[in-house]
Amino acid sequence: MNWRMLLAFSKKELVQTLRDRRMRSLLLLAPVIQLTLFGLALHNEVRNIRLAVYAAPSDTLAWDLGRRAAGTGWFLLKTDVDRNPFEALSSGQVDAALVAPPGGLTQAVGRGQGRIQLLVDGTNTTRAQGVVQYMDAIRMDVIQERVMNGAPFAPALRMDTRMLYNPTLESKYFMVPGVLAMLLLMVTLTLTSSSITREKELGTFETLLAAPITPGTILLGKALPYIILGLLDLPLILCVSYFIFSVPLRGPIWELYVASMAFIGCTVALGILLSTAAQNQQQAMMGSFLTLYPCQMLSGIIYPLDNMPKWLYWITYFNPLRYFAVLIRNILLKGGAPALFWPNVGALALLATVLLLVAWKRFKPTLN
Amino acid sequence: MSEDSSPFMLALTRRLGGFFGLILPRRAAALANKEVHHILRDPYTLGMSIGLPVMMLLLFGEAISFDVKDVKVSIQDEDNSTDSRLLVDTIRGSGYFVVSPSKGNPEEELSTERAKAVVVIPAGFQREVGRGEVPEAQLLVDGSDNATAGVVGGYMAGVAGVAWQHILARESPPAPNAPITFVTQFLFNKELNSRWFMIPGLLVIIIGLLAVLMTALTVAREWEFGSMEMLLCTPARPLDIILGKVAPYVGMGLLAVAMVYGAGRVIFDVPFRGSILLLLLGSLLFLFVSLSQGLLISVATRNQQVAFQMSMMSGMLPTMLLSGFIFPVESMPIGFRIFTSILPPRWFMVISRGLFLKGAGPLELAVPFLVLALMCFLFVYFAVKSFKTDLEP
Repeated sequence: MNWRMLLAFSKKELVQTLRDRRMRSLLLLAPVIQLTLFGLALHNEVRNIRLAVYAAPSDTLAWDLGRRAAGTGWFLLKTDVDRNPFEALSSGQVDAALVAPPGGLTQAVGRGQGRIQLLVDGTNTTRAQGVVQYMDAIRMDVIQERVMNGAPFAPALRMDTRMLYNPTLESKYFMVPGVLAMLLLMVTLTLTSSSITREKELGTFETLLAAPITPGTILLGKALPYIILGLLDLPLILCVSYFIFSVPLRGPIWELYVASMAFIGCTVALGILLSTAAQNQQQAMMGSFLTLYPCQMLSGIIYPLDNMPKWLYWITYFNPLRYFAVLIRNILLKGGAPALFWPNVGALALLATVLLLVAWKRFKPTLN
Repeated sequence: MSEDSSPFMLALTRRLGGFFGLILPRRAAALANKEVHHILRDPYTLGMSIGLPVMMLLLFGEAISFDVKDVKVSIQDEDNSTDSRLLVDTIRGSGYFVVSPSKGNPEEELSTERAKAVVVIPAGFQREVGRGEVPEAQLLVDGSDNATAGVVGGYMAGVAGVAWQHILARESPPAPNAPITFVTQFLFNKELNSRWFMIPGLLVIIIGLLAVLMTALTVAREWEFGSMEMLLCTPARPLDIILGKVAPYVGMGLLAVAMVYGAGRVIFDVPFRGSILLLLLGSLLFLFVSLSQGLLISVATRNQQVAFQMSMMSGMLPTMLLSGFIFPVESMPIGFRIFTSILPPRWFMVISRGLFLKGAGPLELAVPFLVLALMCFLFVYFAVKSFKTDLEP
């Protein structure tokens, strides 16, 4: 291995990438803007549920349910809607409707059988479940305060619940680290996957072959600059997460860097492997897309892993993003427990080594 | 032309050529023909247009579900009495949790992710029940996954209620029924089958991604290879070039639509309550919008690598995250709800879900259709405008 050669080659690669103004902005600006956008926009809790109450104005209990729902901030009470509740739901005017029994809920409760109908739009299943959960809590409040006059209804075993790491259950604490990991994968993988095929397509690969440089040096020279670029992106997006979203950084910063280094090493190796397999840039990009997509879906960032069938769960062990998602959430939110840090970093390092070795084996420095 | 000169391929391209000749101007048809050759020659493009829908259907239909179940809970029973064991058994029997005894410090159980929640039953639990007091158990939940944490809290409250009934039943008659109950009915999806929610959304995602990605690459490629200069020397006008580029991909997109529709109906039993004609019309519109979005990107960038990055940034993440596929648009802050209205997939999402689940008619879907049509016009207009016929950018 010739170190000066490696350095010179890496430098050429770095200059080539950063020369393009659009590439520079894609690398540095786009992740920052995207993290800000998605962090602000994405909430996985159910909000702004439009609710209509179908009850006589004198039916105080039914209206109390609706007003309390609006008071929680999760519901918007709609009054100007279709007279038929089913019509209001199917035309999309409301998401849920409370329909009081004939004679009113207040009277029915007096008779001891206060059943009120709750119609929910089931199109979005998670949203529908959220509606039912919220309404149930509101129902208990109404029972306690209005029916039992403050006396606790049927004393029950109390669960003294404490939410650790995220006491107010804010979704940005969960989403921002996840999106951060996804962005890092996307930038590094798409950049590297076309790095070698580009040389092939432009014809500069022949020049490389003629140069007195070993295949190993070419591969490492291709990998190094992108690892550096990826590590440059990291503090940028971390600043967004810390200052704009005030997502805490509870673990030591060195853990974060070690984890990111192992992760970016993995993604760059993966990109180079793809790039050795592809004939032209289009293939390389589609290959990277077909890798990126399952990586995101099987990482546990958006879709829970625990529910997956066994065979698929096994596949997730080969997904670098899965380990990094665990690592980054653990370091940012939980303080980076060593018992979780080392196995995951180890897995990433192992994956990176294997991927790089396979790429090296597959890399044929010949013209055809 | 050595690989694709098999008689089958030749016959196929001739047929397709005849078809394009029927619906397109002559020059555009010739270009469409050329594009079909490109597609058929490259196994990757074909593989992707079939592989991506199959992969997504498999994952979303079979593997991914948002139900919170089998949550890992560890229990620290410091009382170890009949009543505390009754509580533990109720938690275990609820079906939501996988229960294991705690191995020490509850906070450590959570920080190392051995458990998502820890229940601590303090010593003296049974004694409190005996004295007629209301006992208390402690529940610690990992809040870093806020959605799961909320659901776990809700489940546990329910389980605690049931356990209390069991504990009381050992001594006295069960507590009275609640004075107010809900009779809940879910419309359009009675059993809240999450596949019914996912598959119509998947249609949007698959078309949107395939279309933007493929076209973004094809034009940029012609620029990079220099073959665009040759195209410009021919009598074909920009609109011809654009139509010729787009037409074959519209065909491939419709194939993907048919695949997702068929799999959804046959394999996953998703109902289709609207008009199939409207779905076809909507798909065509959306395909055209996405394809021209890709074209616009590639015309503007003239570089495959940049075009790819741009289409990922403007296509993939917004389509996945901001279209309402998983994260409801209604839950976003007001500014973003307005912002999402410039995203084509958000509108086709309304059409697709409306047609599949609600059986919505043309009147209810008029707005999304009009918006898509307007976007289609604008994108094609700008693509033609920015399709400069000069060689230097």
